[in-house]
Amino acid sequence: MEGWDPNTKSTLTQIPLLTTKAGPRDGPAWTQRLKEEYKSLIAYTQMNKSNDNDWFRISAANPEGTRWTGKCWYVHNLLKYEFDLQFDIPVTYPATAPELELPQLDGKTQKMYRGGKICLTVHFKPLWAKNCPRFGIAHALCLGLAPWLAAEIPILVDSGMVKHKDDAATSAES
Amino acid sequence: MDDELVELQKQFESAQQAKSSIRLSDRNVVELVQKLHELHIIDFDLLHTVSGKEYITPDQLRHEILVEVKRLGRISLIDLADAIGVDLYHVEKQAQHVVSDDPGLMLIQGEIISQSYWDSVAEEINERLQECSQVALAELAAQLHVSSEMVTSVLEPRLGTTVKGRLEAGQLYTPAYVARVTAMVRGAARAITVPTNLSVLWSSLQQLLQEMEGASGVAVEGSFFQSLFNGLVKEGEILGSLRAGVHWTPNVFAIAQKESIDSFFSQNSFISYDVLQKLRIPQPDQFLQSRYPECIPLVTTFIHPSMIEMLDAAIEDALEHGSWMDSLSILPMSFGSQDASKLLSLCPSIQQGLKSDKAIIFGESFVFSSAFIKDVYDRLEKEMETFIVSSTSGTMVSDDLQETKVGHETSRFTESNETVSDSSSNKQTMEKGSKKKKGRVAGNMGAGAADGDPENQDSVPTKSKKNQRKGKNSSSAQVADSKASAKLVKSKEENLNIPSEDWMMNKIATLVPEFEEQGLDDPQTIIRPLANYVRPMLINSWKERRKALFTENAERMKHLLDNLQKKLDESFLNMQLYEKALDLFEDDPSTSVILHRHLLRTTATTIVDMLLLNLDMHNKLKNGVEVEDTQISESSSLNPGERTSIAKNFPGSLSKKALVVVEALEGKRVETFMTALRDIAEESGLLLKKLDKKLERTLLHSYQKDLASQVSAEMDPVSVLAEVVSLLYVQIHHKALQAPGRAIAVAVSRLKDKLDESAFKILTEYQTATVTLLALISAASGDEEDCTSDRILSKRELLENQMPALKGLVLRTGTSQS
Repeated sequence: MEGWDPNTKSTLTQIPLLTTKAGPRDGPAWTQRLKEEYKSLIAYTQMNKSNDNDWFRISAANPEGTRWTGKCWYVHNLLKYEFDLQFDIPVTYPATAPELELPQLDGKTQKMYRGGKICLTVHFKPLWAKNCPRFGIAHALCLGLAPWLAAEIPILVDSGMVKHKDDAATSAES
Repeated sequence: MDDELVELQKQFESAQQAKSSIRLSDRNVVELVQKLHELHIIDFDLLHTVSGKEYITPDQLRHEILVEVKRLGRISLIDLADAIGVDLYHVEKQAQHVVSDDPGLMLIQGEIISQSYWDSVAEEINERLQECSQVALAELAAQLHVSSEMVTSVLEPRLGTTVKGRLEAGQLYTPAYVARVTAMVRGAARAITVPTNLSVLWSSLQQLLQEMEGASGVAVEGSFFQSLFNGLVKEGEILGSLRAGVHWTPNVFAIAQKESIDSFFSQNSFISYDVLQKLRIPQPDQFLQSRYPECIPLVTTFIHPSMIEMLDAAIEDALEHGSWMDSLSILPMSFGSQDASKLLSLCPSIQQGLKSDKAIIFGESFVFSSAFIKDVYDRLEKEMETFIVSSTSGTMVSDDLQETKVGHETSRFTESNETVSDSSSNKQTMEKGSKKKKGRVAGNMGAGAADGDPENQDSVPTKSKKNQRKGKNSSSAQVADSKASAKLVKSKEENLNIPSEDWMMNKIATLVPEFEEQGLDDPQTIIRPLANYVRPMLINSWKERRKALFTENAERMKHLLDNLQKKLDESFLNMQLYEKALDLFEDDPSTSVILHRHLLRTTATTIVDMLLLNLDMHNKLKNGVEVEDTQISESSSLNPGERTSIAKNFPGSLSKKALVVVEALEGKRVETFMTALRDIAEESGLLLKKLDKKLERTLLHSYQKDLASQVSAEMDPVSVLAEVVSLLYVQIHHKALQAPGRAIAVAVSRLKDKLDESAFKILTEYQTATVTLLALISAASGDEEDCTSDRILSKRELLENQMPALKGLVLRTGTSQS
């Protein structure tokens, strides 16, 4: 569990673990799995809210629940930077972790694959593999996206790659 | 689609839509509070805790302090700061507010103490006090960690209520204890009958208490006793007076004191200060004067005027009867001499007597009537005469007297009044010296070098005495006398025949035996002042008499010296004449010695004796001693011992010279004697005439004539030979030879050349006959009437027959030559 800050770790341990090992093609098992995914996401969201640390909104984009879209944001210098978030559940899920995409930031940072998929730390994959099938979408967000945002957004803002929407508007006007 | 799934989707949706709670950081809150301050929404001081996490208002702080104090009763501010968690500074500040607002609290040495706490402490103390019956405040203070003053101030209002006891000098006592100690003090104070220093009493009581209570007993302060004592005195439970806070004089004692003094004084009409001091009255005279104002204080006693009346009567009596009295003998034993003198000065009869010269006070306490002193003086004067006579005549009578004098000699120097007599005697000496000088000058004696020499004067009395004695020829007592006189010399050296004080005292003691009979411890005390008083008068009269004697003696001295000179001239010329004759025999030593000796024995001895006796006499006269007999018989001769003793008694250098002369007299050479004689003559101011040719001839002539007439008149066959031989020497050698019998033979043989055969033959024959006659006479024993006497007679006849021839021999030649 090394490599993550104490806050992340404590949060992670509070997210309910999943039990069903099923992919999108497993029929009713996947439905079961999806239910568990929802439960854990609800718990995580509630946890964030209670800690005044709410930072994302997602929802299933198709009835099968294999594609998810939503928003995520980060507060830096009292300014809220908000980005679109989307990802697909891979066929080999849950053995393979979903690839989280921030399409707005595509090409703006090196810590990103083509198409806006974020680069995760070297620790992520082993940890995920080790905890398969107990980790779900909530865990992936907590372990993957939250630390990435905290690390990359201040650099992007400071380097001017990302501008606040108010600033962008004013600059556009001018 | 599964319902459950839909349900979950909806739940998730709603969960995401729910409003998240809002959280503020500490920093934000602090900023908010500051903002509130700025906006004056919070318009009071806001304190914060030590941890910095909490704000607290002063009111709350005060409240918390109060709560804490109420809980504990007593709490230190430091503990309070810890307990409340607010900075000490604020706690102190608010504590002051709290204490000032609440009268039941007090802030002492960083501690807040409530009144209820003191109440409980007082109760504790009371419990302990009832147990121990006494507690020291200092102990309590130490226990409570507050000052003892604090404890006192706290306890005082509670004494008698909460604390049932009594606070005394830093100690708490129960009433029972106080009562017990009070009883002790009362008992001790009532037991005291003599004046006492109370602190001594307290210390003994303390000891008693400690013994009773053992080691646990707390030392009771003396001041506790004192305060109890003072209370008792105030209540009148013990009677007496207290001086300087500690000197307690019980009434019993004061009453006894007064009574004893009153009774003694009324009985004896005097009281000694010593008695009062024994009765512990520190200032007797003041005490007595205030009690008996009409009485008289003396040095050591205090008397009633009746004492004076009594003394006065006695003195009046003594004065009227021409007697004396010792006031001490009348006064009580305790009176000192100082008292007596003061008392005497108060007697009216003495005052009168002193004014009219009827009374004299000696030695502070002795009163003498002038009539008595006159009587003593007259008797002493008579004694003086006998004394002088006895001392000058040098009889044995005065010896024992002198003995005592010599004995007193050493002590006399220490007497204070001695200085007076010394100075007077010195004066005497000076006067005498001048007198002597006058006398000498008048006597034409050429004023010798030693004139007026103090040394000379010192021995004057002795010399005169000696002379006197010699004149009397009291040879029997001479040896003893010389000893006595030697003593006399010593004693006399100081005062020159003036009767000494001790002598006078002795005399007075014998003259007035009452002094001894009175049984005085030391008759000296009265006799000495009396002697001192009388002595100057006696000395004055003595001096008068001495003066008269001096003028008388001057004449005689002159006469004496004239005589001496005359005699000395004559005999000295003769001596010189005879000395010349000795030259003839210078070649014959043995004969010369015999001749020298003979000359010294005969002519020189008479000269020396005459000289010594006359000088002695002169000295005596000079000293003013009355000399009865001026006739010094020429024939008087002295033995060598006497000569030396006389010579020794001469003053200084004269004595030395005289001794040389006397020694030379014993020698064999006439020349040494002659020089010695010249010396002494010079020393004593006499002239020695030198023999000149003219004088020699006339002397020789007269000598020859004398001899011739002697020879012609001489009937003794033995002595005629010597005279004839002398005459022959005068005729032939013109020398006056004085030859003893033994030298006659030699003298005769010397004449051999000078005489014709026949004459010489006559001379030798006569001489041999004389020698045989003398030999026979010396051989003859007195009582036997044998042939020797016959032979002496026949020889004598033979000599008598030859005598005319011998005489003719001389007389013829004498006439033929002249």
